[in-house]
Amino acid sequence: MTSFFNSLFNSYLGMFMTQAFCHSIIAFIVVDRAVYLWSINNPLIRQRFHLIVVLLPVFSFPLYQAINPDRVSVSFRMEALFDINRWLNLELWETIPLGLFFVVIMIITTIIFIFQEMLPILKHTVESRRSDIEAEEADDNSVAGQAIKNLPVEKPDIFILDDDDRVLFSTTGRNAAVFISTGLIKTLDKEQLQAAIAHEIAHIARNKKPLLIAVFLFRIIMFFNPVALLEFRRLVQEEEKICDDMAVALTQKPHALSGALKKFYHKNGDANPLKLKKLSEMRDSIEEYSHNAHIENRIHRLESRGICKTDGEWLKFILTITVIMGINYFVV
Amino acid sequence: MNKKFLSFFYFALTVVILIAALKIFNYLPMMIQKDTMRRYHSIEDVKSKLNIKEISVPSYFPQSLVWPPSEIFAQNKPFTAVVMEFRHARIGDIALIISQADSKDFKADEKIKIVQIKEKISYPLKGRTVTLEAGMCKNEEPCSRIVWDEGRYRITVTAKASPPELLKISESMIR
Repeated sequence: MTSFFNSLFNSYLGMFMTQAFCHSIIAFIVVDRAVYLWSINNPLIRQRFHLIVVLLPVFSFPLYQAINPDRVSVSFRMEALFDINRWLNLELWETIPLGLFFVVIMIITTIIFIFQEMLPILKHTVESRRSDIEAEEADDNSVAGQAIKNLPVEKPDIFILDDDDRVLFSTTGRNAAVFISTGLIKTLDKEQLQAAIAHEIAHIARNKKPLLIAVFLFRIIMFFNPVALLEFRRLVQEEEKICDDMAVALTQKPHALSGALKKFYHKNGDANPLKLKKLSEMRDSIEEYSHNAHIENRIHRLESRGICKTDGEWLKFILTITVIMGINYFVV
Repeated sequence: MNKKFLSFFYFALTVVILIAALKIFNYLPMMIQKDTMRRYHSIEDVKSKLNIKEISVPSYFPQSLVWPPSEIFAQNKPFTAVVMEFRHARIGDIALIISQADSKDFKADEKIKIVQIKEKISYPLKGRTVTLEAGMCKNEEPCSRIVWDEGRYRITVTAKASPPELLKISESMIR
């Protein structure tokens, strides 16, 4: 079993996967500290920093190997800052290689990636192209139409879903549109409705950029990487904050958006996940807790809007990349 | 300004701490498992510490190379492997690498990298089937490699030398 894992981790693909994992951990630590120490609070710049963790490990190993093919040699590994093979080759009770646990973590991450990222995105893409969503187009005199009348932006089609639940989403592509449920319209006042739709308009505008699609394609290459899984969620959360800022720039009413967000707060999310007996209940509770924490964070941000400092961010960004690339070169 | 300077200082401190942590985490497996790949001072040291009885060394050694090996790396886990590097007496470059490993996948070192293989042949040598690759290294230097199986070990001899010189070295290793 040990020799099988040894062959696996010494193949090009194995080295790519193990080194990408290490490189993303180091990138994660450096980026996290950089964002904290330099108090980077602009979500657009924070997202740029988090992108480093997802994208750099995709290129780092092939790039380093192109620069120096000796990087995987015995002597380089002996002088390296960190050689993951030393850990992967360790044997528990002289029989079970630690590499087995590494492979298990990769498999679990891949399963989570498929079911929590890949399939929902594919589902959303298919649904975006479908035109049979049962909804009625809102005219200019409707509540939704009136709410966005004064927004200084090209207005997408607005569709009303006959649903008592609070539903709000947008579809992208050629038939970009905002869908809003009657249940949500009833709970929001005119300004909150305007802010909520402005947020969705921001999503539509952002999704027109091919950069985000390219990022997701590179993220797919890191399907096995648990650090990329975590960091991609942070990227998505920053995306929501960017759209919040765009919505506020359109409406000039941050409190209206925070008021709208409060309607999406899940009341059951306060339950202690550890006290729940069923695994599915625990999972749902953790998801709700995470959802609420993110909503709370966005509400707090909108209600205490400070000045987003943006001075010298490129210097900090380049410095952070340089440090990560420098350290990772010696991590094999 | 002072706050800005401090933030850069703390960032630098974080980097230093991270590098130190990586060094420590890199050293820990060597503490836990004594027979993982590490550097040794002599062949006798390898034999005694790793209990490897047979280490193939050449009895014919060109005068242009320095004996003893400039570097010796060896391990018993996940499989037995010994790598010896020899330097050129005058130039100081690594001119000969001998490796023996209980694994067919083990790649010893790429310090002598054949960038262009001009000839690859297999033929019998003292009862073993050896594979000889002759070609060029960087800077148009002639270099060659011989590989054969000796019991459970795969022996690889790579040198910045012509095939006849390498053959003499390899032949002297087979008893």
